[in-house]
Amino acid sequence: MAGFKGTREAFAQALLDIAEENDKIMFVSPDSLKAMRATKFAEVHPDQYVEVGISEQNAVDTAAGLAAAGLTPFVGTYAGFLTMRACEQMRTFVAYPDLNVKFVGINSGILGGEREGVTHQFYEDLGILSNIPNYTIFTPADAAQTYHAVKLAAEINGPVYVRAGSGRETDVYDIETPFSEEGIRILKKYGNDMLLLSSGFVLDRVLKAAEILNEKGINVTVGDVNILYGNNPQKILEAIAKVNTIMTVEDHNVNGGMGAYISKLVVENDPKYVKRMGLTTFGESGPAKELADAYGFSPENIVKTVEENLK
Amino acid sequence: MNAAELKKIANDLRLTAVEMVYKGKDGHPGPALSIADIVSVLYFDEMRVDSSNPDWEDRDRFILSKGHACPIYYAALSKKEYFGEEVEDFQLRALGSNFQGHPVMNKIKGVDMTSGSLGNGISIGSGMAIAGKYLGKDYNVFVIAGDGELQEGVCWEGINSAAGHHLDNLIVFVDKNGWQSGGSIEETIGANNIKDRFEAFGWDAQEIDGHNIEEIQKAISNAKNAKGKPSVIVCDCIKGKGVPYMENNNAWHKGVPTQEQYEEARKVLGGAL
Repeated sequence: MAGFKGTREAFAQALLDIAEENDKIMFVSPDSLKAMRATKFAEVHPDQYVEVGISEQNAVDTAAGLAAAGLTPFVGTYAGFLTMRACEQMRTFVAYPDLNVKFVGINSGILGGEREGVTHQFYEDLGILSNIPNYTIFTPADAAQTYHAVKLAAEINGPVYVRAGSGRETDVYDIETPFSEEGIRILKKYGNDMLLLSSGFVLDRVLKAAEILNEKGINVTVGDVNILYGNNPQKILEAIAKVNTIMTVEDHNVNGGMGAYISKLVVENDPKYVKRMGLTTFGESGPAKELADAYGFSPENIVKTVEENLK
Repeated sequence: MNAAELKKIANDLRLTAVEMVYKGKDGHPGPALSIADIVSVLYFDEMRVDSSNPDWEDRDRFILSKGHACPIYYAALSKKEYFGEEVEDFQLRALGSNFQGHPVMNKIKGVDMTSGSLGNGISIGSGMAIAGKYLGKDYNVFVIAGDGELQEGVCWEGINSAAGHHLDNLIVFVDKNGWQSGGSIEETIGANNIKDRFEAFGWDAQEIDGHNIEEIQKAISNAKNAKGKPSVIVCDCIKGKGVPYMENNNAWHKGVPTQEQYEEARKVLGGAL
């Protein structure tokens, strides 16, 4: 299997591969076919491509109807147009009846939204969905992980949300590594001076920061938290148990996302210091990597924040 | 079934609905009574359903988009014996009851879709209709929406895409009773030419007396014969129809009859006292 250009291409390939074996897979598009890189799916499976026009609430409702009739629809478009504009439909007509609808939200985070500006950057999606029962929330770290996350989403019965980007993601994983069902994968173990937990498309920056810290004699462990509010956080708790200090780094508002999830786990199970890095304001337009740097996600700033918070 | 029999069933359903609200001490009797005749025709004459096999893949689908009218829906499912024998006390809106304030598909056999927050039934019905075509099923999808409900923008998203998909297996009834929660539609936002608007979106559209059984039957037959586009049947209805003190009195949008009022309703609807 070759690599992918980005998370959207990975989604589209996964959808094609799933549909090879499963004729109940549908793709509902609120004019997002191109944005989701799914034009080939529409060519190969025209009867499984449902275009509803620019109408996200309608797209989610339509998907609910498809699922109620026994099909497995994916709805893919910009993360906030799903989780904010169609939030009520995602809650009341998908999650409440526990229907088998899958969502892929692109342009998530400031890195994913980059030049578009605040209207097309979404750093609230995880906080919103974490308040709605029945959602399984996947936060893959790169395109390869997105491919496996989408395939796993199709195998799960019930609503799943997969957080995706816009092609600015840096590859961290090799193509063969499956999407962990344990909710965490430890990627680096320099030592236990601090546990650095990250998720999504800033993971490469956290890994770089860990490398710099190691050179400075500060030895941290880096974990990729890839499922939020999952049913079995045992592996995350095991990682937490090994350190005295934890820092979370996420391209999402600090409230309601991965840092909030880890804080909850820590407070309830093994109280210790948790520093959360993430967004606290709206973003702005700019080239993706410069923008991420400007909003605090440079490896250097992550290093500095670790140093300031060592206990 | 003939019109007289269906009219009798409609009034039986009305009586059950009023009793449900009276015993449960909460609910929306006015919006329920206005659609009783449509529901009677659908469940007891038109729809291909089997209450002993509620998940039958080939069944016709029904969505009560104006979910607050559910007492009449619950009454119809009960009379249709979805719950084994007819339910004596629904415990409408009571803690622990399956008969929630708005219909919930995984709590009640025969409910094809959870509903209640306004505006969503047409889009969801579109999804079911698209699925029917994709799966090669010949079922129809019936939706009842309110006239006030059509103020929700998502309705028009669904109306737009249903036409784009040529969903001639989707039939929407609009309960045009002229009232919404806060008052008359005319005073709230102005009269809104429902039939013309659907036609402009590319739908087959009819307007009928929503309390005339034969007109309802004929309109459904016409709608099923309209090929290549979805159909709307705009039904001129009277909110609270069948119980004189409730008719066209929006105080009964939501309200509970006193014992005296309940007995009066029983009397006019042909129930034993």
